[in-house]
Amino acid sequence: MKAKTVCKALRLIGSLLGKLCLVALIFFVVTFGIYITNAENKLIYYVIRPFLNKHYDSQVRDRKI
Amino acid sequence: MKDLKHLITFENLLQDAQNELVTKAVEEGQLALGYNCYYIPEALLNLPGCFSTRLRAPRCTSTDVASYYMTARTCPYVRSILERAIEGGYNYLNALFGSEGCAAMERMEEHFDLLHPVKNEGFFTTIIDPPMRGDETNLKYYKVQLRTKVLEPLHERFGVDISEEALRAAIDDHNAVSSVITAIGEFRKGDKPRITGYEFHVLQVASQVCPHKAILPLLEETLEEVKNRQPEGKFPFRARVVLAGSEIDDPDFTKLIESCGAMVVADRYCFGSFPSREQIEIREGESAFDAICRHYLHWNQCARFMDGEKIDQRSGEIKRLVEDFGADGVIYENMKFCEFWSYEKVLENHIFTDELHIPCCTIEKEYALGSVGQLRTRFQAFIESLEIKNIQGGK
Amino acid sequence: MKLTDKLVGAVDKKLRRFDPIWRAENGLGGQRDRYYDKTGVAKWREWRGVRDTLYDYSQWLNNIVSMVQMVGSAPIPCLKGFWEYRWMGSYLGTFMFIDRLFEGYRGTELRIAHMNMHAIVQNLTKKIAFVLSNDQRLGGGPYTDKCIPHDETITQLFLKGFKDLYPVPMQTLPEFIICDIDQHIEPYYIDVAESFGLPADVCSRCAAETGVALDDALPILGKVMLSTNMPCNASEATSMFQRRRIGKPDFPITLAMQHQKPEGLVYSREMLERAIAFVEEHYGVKYDWEELFKYARLMNEQNTIELEKWDYFKTPYSPLSGIAESLYKLFEWQSANGTDPYFNKVDRKVIKIMRKAYEDKYVPFGGRTRHRAFLWGPSAVYYTDFPTWTQNCWGITIVLNMDSTMGYNMIDTSDTDKAMDDLTALTQRACMRHHAVGGWENINAVWDWARAFNCDMVLMNDNIACKGMLGVHAMMEEQARDLGFHFIFIEHDLEDSRTVSRQDMRKCVNNYMSVVLNEKPLDPTIVEFDDSEAY
Repeated sequence: MKAKTVCKALRLIGSLLGKLCLVALIFFVVTFGIYITNAENKLIYYVIRPFLNKHYDSQVRDRKI
Repeated sequence: MKDLKHLITFENLLQDAQNELVTKAVEEGQLALGYNCYYIPEALLNLPGCFSTRLRAPRCTSTDVASYYMTARTCPYVRSILERAIEGGYNYLNALFGSEGCAAMERMEEHFDLLHPVKNEGFFTTIIDPPMRGDETNLKYYKVQLRTKVLEPLHERFGVDISEEALRAAIDDHNAVSSVITAIGEFRKGDKPRITGYEFHVLQVASQVCPHKAILPLLEETLEEVKNRQPEGKFPFRARVVLAGSEIDDPDFTKLIESCGAMVVADRYCFGSFPSREQIEIREGESAFDAICRHYLHWNQCARFMDGEKIDQRSGEIKRLVEDFGADGVIYENMKFCEFWSYEKVLENHIFTDELHIPCCTIEKEYALGSVGQLRTRFQAFIESLEIKNIQGGK
Repeated sequence: MKLTDKLVGAVDKKLRRFDPIWRAENGLGGQRDRYYDKTGVAKWREWRGVRDTLYDYSQWLNNIVSMVQMVGSAPIPCLKGFWEYRWMGSYLGTFMFIDRLFEGYRGTELRIAHMNMHAIVQNLTKKIAFVLSNDQRLGGGPYTDKCIPHDETITQLFLKGFKDLYPVPMQTLPEFIICDIDQHIEPYYIDVAESFGLPADVCSRCAAETGVALDDALPILGKVMLSTNMPCNASEATSMFQRRRIGKPDFPITLAMQHQKPEGLVYSREMLERAIAFVEEHYGVKYDWEELFKYARLMNEQNTIELEKWDYFKTPYSPLSGIAESLYKLFEWQSANGTDPYFNKVDRKVIKIMRKAYEDKYVPFGGRTRHRAFLWGPSAVYYTDFPTWTQNCWGITIVLNMDSTMGYNMIDTSDTDKAMDDLTALTQRACMRHHAVGGWENINAVWDWARAFNCDMVLMNDNIACKGMLGVHAMMEEQARDLGFHFIFIEHDLEDSRTVSRQDMRKCVNNYMSVVLNEKPLDPTIVEFDDSEAY
């Protein structure tokens, strides 16, 4: 009975560790993919900043001395 | 109006830094003490056996050598002074009292030490660290600076008398010249002025570059002449302006404005009489030295002062001049590459135009008046707008 | 050799054709191959070998975590900030900025550089979140009235004697730091200032700060403001506009220009004491010296470590140099200034690494250093990643920046009178100032510094609008000639890259290296390239 419980617990830990490893692997693959392809900078440079700049250019600012 | 008797004499005195009166004083054994900036009180340099001379570089046509040292992107006034020094134009000087008022000025004055351009045995340069606020702490610091970098070196190196008595005499000398200049300047007020802005500018600059004892009799005679001078039947200009800003030591600049149709009724710029010709008062219990320091710190209107009171004083003083001298507008000038006055000009233009509703024109100029076509166009347009405003009853 | 080393070695060998340094050494290309033309956007990140690439990746993640924490700690203010302030948008260029700065870095150099950079990122992100959360313009926050906005060149340390108040350098976020990250942000603000009639020949940093004020883009915090006359003429004038736009009582802390003189110290001390009294009066609090001493100890530790670092800088075995040194030091001194213990933690780690590197006779940058240079350089050094470029292109190691020699005196932590003198001395020797004002001797000191750090070269950033430095132009050249230094003036317009482009700046070095010294570049792809559209 006791051995069975330990076995079950080990299996559970094993499966959790496995899942954790899988998540870590996926996390690594995705983030490293973004990192090495410089994807976030491309997104910022080509998409986000042009959008923000359009917004800033349309702002009415209280410009005075 | 009839020409002033001594105008040509005064004009000739402005043709060279070492003019006839300076040469005579030097030959008599007096110490020639140069300075560039209002931060150095003229009164401290007119102690027994000394005379003050504010440095100019008249008829300077090229600053090639100075531009090699300081590049062509620095203030043309300081480059012109350095150039003149390298040319040997200040060999009559015994000392230069400088001020770290602005970076360019300080660097130029340093070159007097580094390059030894003044060939006069015993010549030396000191540079004060001038205060940037008008309060007690800064007055204290100003006193330390003037004592250790002006008075003490004069005493130690040349044995100049820096006693209370000597300083009181120097104040009397300052007040005598100032009262004459101020009295002459008063004749710029009113509908029928008895002196033009140009003539006054010539007298004022001459009073700063020549030994006081030599120039005072000529100024006094001129004052008497102006008192009795018959003004033009009709105001000969189309408008009246206050000229404000940085360094202007060439009366031809005033002449340029007046030739465009506006009389310069008040001069609030470096080398002008506001400030410089106010009376120094010694308060009860105050030493002459303390009075000089307090006076100069109070009246100084350099654009480098940072505290609110001094900033307000700058615009307040010009507003007062506009009112007292009945000016229609203000012309703000800054020497090219002068950072302080570049900023001040922007701020004051806003204050005068938008807050005080006094017409204001801002220009930037070189030291030597070369091609003036653009400036003339600017002045003409501004004067025309003042004239139209006057015709429309100030609307 | 361990198995992992063998494995890593094998992979490195296999993939080295992607390593730009290897490619340059073998005539196959170099750093610039990775970029889209003009943009500064890399097609892929630099392959630095397995270990260094993974380390760089881990630090990239580390910085992302700081940014996520920033947004997480104040999501609404951060979003509002991005929407309200143009300069906030520029902070998105931070990753690209870091990549640029550490291009070509490997091994210990890379590790130290990232440690230093992360200290900046974690401090800056916290600062951004704090400022935006309490910015009156965005609705204010619990600490709005407890902030003391002060000029960026005033040291924060002396304000840490106010236990429950928060010193906030006013221009740091909208101008001082961001100009290093994005070369296109300041021209916008410069144009705003010039549209009011400000001439184009004033210092562009000051023009930009004026533009920020006029464009209503300064965060509004606190009950008063503390302006200053540091560092230069134009910045003094700039504060006139800032005080008008901020509209709060202002105390200009005017410190002695001739700060090396004893009477200057007396004057400056009195000004600082009055500034303390001014804050006490307006906030109704008392200055707490014990609190000050707490932070002064941190500052002292930072300066003690800094002085030890200098000993290593003098040797050929220092893995800390160039941008990793100068940007860190600038930020640590000017923006942290003893107020953030994280910097002490980093300093302790870094000095340990430096000691070990010296013991091991570690030669940085793969021994590709040809010249040791002392640098005189402000912001234009950072947005152009100049020291990194001189290292990668010509093998010029920037040993120390003149700005890194800001106040390094210790603060007495037992006697308040002595402490006040020490604080004054420290504060007076601020960034862009202590060598640039107060007389020729302060500038002329550059040669002594260069000699002390065993440099054969001095690179002098020649700001075309800096009147103080232009005033000694020829004297510097003559001194260099007389003293036998290689000397290069690098013309720039500080924060206006439209006047003098990055390539124009690089050209000054290229010309000297190829024409005068007849040397060949280490990486020919970065001798001449167009990055005018890069951040």
